[in-house]
Amino acid sequence: MMQVALKIWRYDASTGDRALREYEVDAPEEATLLDVLDIVKDKVDGSLAYRKSCRMMICGSCGMRMDGAAVLACKTRMYDVAQSGHVPVISAMGNLPIVRDLVVDMDPFWEKFKAMKPYLQPGYERPDDGREYRVTQERMNAVKKEALCINCGCCVSECNAMESDPEFLGPQALAKGFRFVGDPRDGATVERLEQYSGEHGIWECTRCFFCNERCPKGVDPRDAIAKLGAEAVKNGIDRDMGAKHAKWFIRSTETTGWLRETELVPKTQGVVSSIKQMKFAMNLIKHNKAGLAFPPHVAANVGEARNLHKLVHEQGVLGAAGHIQGERALSKLEHGYHEGGDPYGPGSFPKPYLPEDTE
Amino acid sequence: MIGEHDVLVIGAGCAGMRAAIEAHDAGADVAMISKLHPTRSHSGAAEGGINAALGNAAEDSPETHAYDTVKGSDYLGDQDSIEIFTREAPHDIIQLENWGAFFSRQPDGRLAQRPFGAAGSPRTIYAADITGHVLIQVLYEQVCKRDIKVYEEFFAWQLVVDDERCQGVICWDLLNGGLKTVGGKTTVLATGGAGRQYRVTTNAYACTGDGTAMALRAGVPLKDMEFMQFHPTTLYPTGILLTEGCRGEGAYLLNKDGERFMKRYAPNALELASRDVVSRAEQTEIDAGRGVNGSVMLDMRHLGAERIIERLPGSRELAMTFAGVDPIYEPVPVRPGAHYHMGGIETDSDGATELTGLYAAGECACVSVHGANRLGGNSLMETITFGRRAGRAAAEWAMSHTTIEVPEALERDAERELQELLDRGSGERPWKIREELGTSMLENFAVFRREEQMERQLEIIPELRERFRKVYVEDKGTVFNSDLTQAIELGNMLDTAWCMVQAGLARKESRGAHARPYDYPTRDDEHFLKHSITRWVDDAPELSYGPVRMTKWQPEERKY
Repeated sequence: MMQVALKIWRYDASTGDRALREYEVDAPEEATLLDVLDIVKDKVDGSLAYRKSCRMMICGSCGMRMDGAAVLACKTRMYDVAQSGHVPVISAMGNLPIVRDLVVDMDPFWEKFKAMKPYLQPGYERPDDGREYRVTQERMNAVKKEALCINCGCCVSECNAMESDPEFLGPQALAKGFRFVGDPRDGATVERLEQYSGEHGIWECTRCFFCNERCPKGVDPRDAIAKLGAEAVKNGIDRDMGAKHAKWFIRSTETTGWLRETELVPKTQGVVSSIKQMKFAMNLIKHNKAGLAFPPHVAANVGEARNLHKLVHEQGVLGAAGHIQGERALSKLEHGYHEGGDPYGPGSFPKPYLPEDTE
Repeated sequence: MIGEHDVLVIGAGCAGMRAAIEAHDAGADVAMISKLHPTRSHSGAAEGGINAALGNAAEDSPETHAYDTVKGSDYLGDQDSIEIFTREAPHDIIQLENWGAFFSRQPDGRLAQRPFGAAGSPRTIYAADITGHVLIQVLYEQVCKRDIKVYEEFFAWQLVVDDERCQGVICWDLLNGGLKTVGGKTTVLATGGAGRQYRVTTNAYACTGDGTAMALRAGVPLKDMEFMQFHPTTLYPTGILLTEGCRGEGAYLLNKDGERFMKRYAPNALELASRDVVSRAEQTEIDAGRGVNGSVMLDMRHLGAERIIERLPGSRELAMTFAGVDPIYEPVPVRPGAHYHMGGIETDSDGATELTGLYAAGECACVSVHGANRLGGNSLMETITFGRRAGRAAAEWAMSHTTIEVPEALERDAERELQELLDRGSGERPWKIREELGTSMLENFAVFRREEQMERQLEIIPELRERFRKVYVEDKGTVFNSDLTQAIELGNMLDTAWCMVQAGLARKESRGAHARPYDYPTRDDEHFLKHSITRWVDDAPELSYGPVRMTKWQPEERKY
């Protein structure tokens, strides 16, 4: 057994009272945060409210924050925290209204999920032999990570863009969107990309990567958003300033081998809107921070940049296919083991609970 | 009444959602009631796969599938239902794929199939080892597409039975508080299992047999309650499931001497014998002192990193998180744990129960496809095929009948009962009773069953029920009062556990998951080739028997 101490942000909806309470309980050494909450609820305070069900990180019920970072309570082992003497603060997830204690209102979350038209819209009729679609595993793997999503809300909790625009579709909904855009059986790609590229869509993501960082299942929602953006541009759906901005990076590097920032503003915002930025531009020029060179400077090794561009086209890896899937799903677990190193040393996965030999 | 619908589905896992989709497509006005959001249902934790004789990986047929299932059931399954089941399964799978399910593929682009325990052919369609998750997602997607109403986080408590007909359900609204009645011309129960009766179980906290208990108290008979399947590979110490797919992909089971002990118990099928056989073998090894602190070892090292990462990523993640062991480099400690309840609410092959207007599907029902022992991969398929059939039958009945009446007296009684529970100012907290139930069930009514232990358990449960009468709910609030619902769940577990032990003690033979090696070590077809039927009479279970429906297959000795 071990002693675990927690501070929990309690919230009572009927009175609006908020209070940080500290609890200390005895728990078995293999206990997770969820186990500890159960002990608190059973033996200390029956009124503590939180969601739980599967306790094996597949149902997505127990998303909450520990020391300000979203976690699944059932996945979070407490041994190391308890040993260190640190008293973690447990609170409800962010970006969603709190109902009580650690329970948030998931309605806004599911509304965005449903807004994605989250169901397959077959591109062609059912295979005429009445059988399954013939699709290779390789092609299906394009959405392998997105298919892992358990809708726990950890990514949404941490989303910085949603903090400033609550209507932003957000990482889980967009990941669900890519689940279908990337599915070779789906035929509504263009309609979907049009819809997801609108206001509060793909291009509103600030690329802080918190969703990738905090996702307990390795879905990497930011990667999904990047792939949606790439697919949108590939399909010519690029009216959004975000898309134009991204396109100019490519155009600029292809033509001169470097990023022509002075032209970035008109290319992104359009000429009319750029005129409004004239005063700012003049200031930049005055301090030698920007300027128009004509003809523009061309980098010495521009050929390399152009070749790269050519290669992408020749190999047909435009859009999501060109997005580097640098890691397999769940690979975040992989750094736990170093060949020849101590597999249970600092920075690796939690202390093992191998049963000891009875002798 | 806060709503009226043609068809009411209680529970929103695979069976519930499939029933709701079918009823909707049949033209009925459908609503689902669930104490969890649909995607949180425990169907999502199913890992290994779903059985249908597609014949993609090797030659196969519904008849072979049916034979394997009959044999696996130790001849207690109803063969007419099993034949319907295996015949309709392939079409249901194709439909799921066409809806967008993310199944794994074989190189020619068709659905891949893997070998599973006691199956004559590689028949199990899978999505790596997150098959349940993929099914829950695709079904919820279809529910969204149809815009089917879901009463989310509504805790179904009592069935409304009036005029000898089920007309709806009284629920506790978890989010806002208060008892709410939802009316339905027909009601489909799809509330899943009750594994939480045991301390070591693969089941979620939510699996507390709510629907089974509700039906029982409404006078509906339960069937084959003594048959609780113990899954051979649940993680030490938490009981979390590691899929049969691990063994399907070739993992070994080792005792402390590193011996592949299955060769002594099932020389042909080895690790891929049926689950009851493997669980008994493990328990025998552990009891004989050849285990490692109450476990045996599941060894996947020889499969290699690539195969484990490709086919079994979820199991690896679970082993690493909950046992601190990476199966690529080390064997994983596993032991038998309560997994699946073969018994349940007695239904015909359309899901209809004895009570007019009440249907059941999935784990809470007993069709009975699984008999005395379920084969891996058959339960997901059952939720889909019989969920669909129950949804269709419920919709057809509902659309030919018009009225719903909920007598106010019923609602007042429920209100009073609840108030009494909430008004109680002191008493015993539920957790202690829950822990004692879990520990005693595991000790007295698990893999091997002894007469005197079952007798003791039959004394323990009424004692616990007596203590439960004075249970104290500390939380008096209305918003998300899970203290209240957990107390009600405990009551449901106590009642269904009682039925199980009673039926177990009376079955004086060893069949499937019901093993009595000390007094009745063999199957006794002469006296016990029959279903146990349990009814609730005067606040206690009452046992009787019913016939097994046979078609082609006569009982023979079961060997793997």
